[in-house]
Amino acid sequence: MAVTVYIPTSFRRATNNRDRVEITAVDVRRLLDQLEASYGGLKGLVRDEGGEVHHHVNIYVNSEAIESLQGLRTPLQDGDEVTIIPALAGGGRAPVVAAA
Amino acid sequence: MIVTSEELEAIRRQAVEEYPRESCGVVLEQGRLRRIVRCRNIQDELHARDPQRHPRDARTAYFIDPRDLLRIGRLEGEGFTIAVIYHSHVDAGAYFSPTDRQQALIGGEPTYPAATYLVTSVVGGRVEAEAAFRWSGRERDFVPVELGVDGWLLPERILFAAGRFWERLRIGALFGRKA
Repeated sequence: MAVTVYIPTSFRRATNNRDRVEITAVDVRRLLDQLEASYGGLKGLVRDEGGEVHHHVNIYVNSEAIESLQGLRTPLQDGDEVTIIPALAGGGRAPVVAAA
Repeated sequence: MIVTSEELEAIRRQAVEEYPRESCGVVLEQGRLRRIVRCRNIQDELHARDPQRHPRDARTAYFIDPRDLLRIGRLEGEGFTIAVIYHSHVDAGAYFSPTDRQQALIGGEPTYPAATYLVTSVVGGRVEAEAAFRWSGRERDFVPVELGVDGWLLPERILFAAGRFWERLRIGALFGRKA
């Protein structure tokens, strides 16, 4: 199952600046395994040591977030597009906590 | 240049419209082409769904809607790069907070090392200040940078002001000779 993986700008330092790579995998977990095997620098960027996707990283299969599909078990088909995008978040002052 | 005057105006307007929630978005560029993407802050939804994991609501935090991230990703795929990541602070100053810093790093490295982070302070529903920050490889931290608008960074502004001053002097001298 050859799928195209879109690599975000911030991760391209680990893929020799390639913005798209072709990977053959039957599901998202195996795709990430392959990706990390081919580009060692991606290890730790997308998943934690336990193999779970970091909470600040979003993965989409054909524009659908994998959380709303089958997570890492989401099956892949020939021609699918997988997109990896780190979250954009932040915030100002810490919330005021009422004294007990 | 960090933002054009039109982009800055749009960013300010959005910050005021979304007060008392933090606003957010990005500016992308491809050569001379620029595109501002106004994003949706889903922090309230995250907080409502899981207050333990997301103790802050949108008054003190932002989290860009993944659907907007996908739009941004598509534009990156078309050759655009993220030039500016902006958000507002509600009833707080225009500074790069510890949360901003923490969220802008993955594994200690900046997620978007080339992007400028623009923070707008909105107090009582009015824009009070803006500040810009960029990753410094030497400092290993985000440092304040001059908020260049419409292509004029500080040296260019000084040169422009000096030029205007010189013009006035010459004109004054001309008037003097005529008199």
